[in-house]
Amino acid sequence: MTLVKEAPVRPAKKRSAAPAAGRRGRRRENLAGYLFMSPWIAGFLLLTAGPMIASLYYAFTSYNLFTPPKWVGLDNFTTMFQDPRWQKSVEVTLKYVVVATPLKLLLALGVALLLAQRRRGQALYRAAFYMPSLIGASVSVGFVWRALFSDDAVVDRTQKIFGVDVGGWIGNPDYVLYSLVALSIWQFGAPMVIFLAGLKQVPQELYEAAEMDGAGPLRRFWNITLPMISPVLFFNVLLESIHAFQVFGSAYVVSDTRCGPADATLVYTCYLYQKGFKEAQMGFASAMAWTLVVAVALVTAVLFWSQKKWVHYEEAAK
Amino acid sequence: MGTSRNVERRTILKAAGATAATLGLAATTTACGGDSGTSADGTVTIRYAWWGGEPRTIAIKKTIALFEKKYPKIKIKPEFTDYEAFWEKFQTQASGGNPPDVFQNAVGFLRKYDKRGVLMDLKAQADAGNLNLENFRNGVLANGQVDGKQIGIPVGANTMALVIDLKAFKKAGVEAKFGWTWNEYFAALQTIQDKLKIAGDTGYFNIMYLYDLYLRQNGKAFFTDSDLGFTEADLTQWWEDGYKRVKSGLVADPKKIEQVKPKSGLSAGLAASEFTWDNFSIRYQGEGDSDYGLAPIPTTDGKNTGQYLGSLMLSAFSGTKHPKEVAQFIDFMVHDPEVGKIMGYDRGILATTEQYDAFKPTDPNNKGVSAYEDEVAKAGVLGKITPHPSGADVIEAAFLRIGAEVSQGKAKPADAAKALFSEAKAAFAG
Repeated sequence: MTLVKEAPVRPAKKRSAAPAAGRRGRRRENLAGYLFMSPWIAGFLLLTAGPMIASLYYAFTSYNLFTPPKWVGLDNFTTMFQDPRWQKSVEVTLKYVVVATPLKLLLALGVALLLAQRRRGQALYRAAFYMPSLIGASVSVGFVWRALFSDDAVVDRTQKIFGVDVGGWIGNPDYVLYSLVALSIWQFGAPMVIFLAGLKQVPQELYEAAEMDGAGPLRRFWNITLPMISPVLFFNVLLESIHAFQVFGSAYVVSDTRCGPADATLVYTCYLYQKGFKEAQMGFASAMAWTLVVAVALVTAVLFWSQKKWVHYEEAAK
Repeated sequence: MGTSRNVERRTILKAAGATAATLGLAATTTACGGDSGTSADGTVTIRYAWWGGEPRTIAIKKTIALFEKKYPKIKIKPEFTDYEAFWEKFQTQASGGNPPDVFQNAVGFLRKYDKRGVLMDLKAQADAGNLNLENFRNGVLANGQVDGKQIGIPVGANTMALVIDLKAFKKAGVEAKFGWTWNEYFAALQTIQDKLKIAGDTGYFNIMYLYDLYLRQNGKAFFTDSDLGFTEADLTQWWEDGYKRVKSGLVADPKKIEQVKPKSGLSAGLAASEFTWDNFSIRYQGEGDSDYGLAPIPTTDGKNTGQYLGSLMLSAFSGTKHPKEVAQFIDFMVHDPEVGKIMGYDRGILATTEQYDAFKPTDPNNKGVSAYEDEVAKAGVLGKITPHPSGADVIEAAFLRIGAEVSQGKAKPADAAKALFSEAKAAFAG
């Protein structure tokens, strides 16, 4: 009995007596939190936020790194929009995004569907398919790619067996961009893992019910799987398109640092890099960077707006 | 409550420690990246940067060891990369006020960095007796002068040449002789194509320095002090002819040339000749299966090749804290006979008589380069180098890129010439 009597007393006592002390304790706790975060905050302010603000300012200046920046207003933007190489870089980038992103996601989804089924050695397969994503960004893979797609190399010889002779992709301005697309597709591991997680969430009963109604595999995929994983699909589309807009390393390495031949792999960031670090036009490069930020934001906004039409969240379904 | 407060204090302390450590680490890194200094015992450290392949780096490191032995109070910190990365890095370092104290330089960059106040006028150090400006061969010292200032000290001199596949030329029965004309050169390429079924040239019309020679043969030049020295029509003609020769197969397929990079089209057997700097010819023997030799530049009038001696040089940072030691170091590097023996003709024929006399090439490649330059000098065709205005480096890159577009059929020569002129305008303004 005493226990029962005592029990409600203790929390009551704490609640009534300690608001001031509790607040102080919480404040101290917060302080500790901030202290723990401070290296990150310092890094963010110094290395990310600061440079971003600086670059926003530089975007409106003419700045060659040596003489102090000169305010030129919108000049960088007007020259940029008229610059044929800038137009070319936009064209190349859009082509890359539009071709590479859907193909990569298609492959990621296809493989995820296969790997979602229970079979022996599943973990091994998953690891094997994910592997390229881990090493894909490295410079060495760029070199390997160059070697694969050169004249008289593996790809060229294989093509010739089928009677197609384009003489390697690397030196050919009409094909070289597709070697970068291939490199991107090859790294489908990350979206694949996300698709896998999404597929695991689809309730098995739905399939069982559909099967009983006589729905075939294609119909089940179209009417159950796809709507059920549409949030995951949306996430992947968003992430991969943003990613594709920022492609740089592969273009830079595969085309031997010149983003060519004939500007065929002049992706946006590659031109930005050339302007900034080779030609020392930091103002122009900053203007380009901010234009990219705005463009990616717009694309993201459009995707978010479109999701109402094709993404199904379970709560909405209920 | 007591214990919990203790825990809190400990976590706070730990967090603070971590922060301090991070900031401290950042501070030390900055200090490391900072300027070279003087240590307690009076030892001075200077940074020395260059671009080039592995053989050059190995040789230069040997010369550094030699210098440090002779000057125990001066330590040299080497920095090296390939050509492209070198100038990107240099630009960033220089704009931050932290370029290397001594660095390899070339004529295309002199005015650019002089204009930005990065280069030291070494005349004062020469007057102070820390650097000897005597004994340079063939007036090559003038290559490092801009507006009366000595901002580069040549380490070697080179000139443009035509490298030929000796076996191919012999098999086709064509001869590269001194004073031959462009028409004779293209006729030779035609014979090679007819008899051997390979292209004659790897893509002459994309090389800015060769176009410079062609212009000089015709009384013009690629650059004037502050502008381009030719017209859009000149360049349109040059590229139109070039593209025609790609189409007819006289010049190798640019797609294939692109594929074999970093190997050259000549050593890959795609063509029988290639224009380049004479000291670069050493690479072909190692890369290709044939025998290679140096042949004269074709002319317009049967005599004037338009050639001059270009060169690599050493420059110093105007803001270095150790101008005297820097001057002593450059002096040692350009005059010491032992350094000449180690470097050989890697950066061109050695620029000073001390080094030139000390190094006697024994291998056929270096001998060939030496003989070639002797011959050119004897023919009396060597002219003075034309100026390279600030922005020349950007224009050279544009020339190569736009020329590639023309040869790939991606741009019409007239449009391409227009594009180059517009890019040049921007480069001069930058």
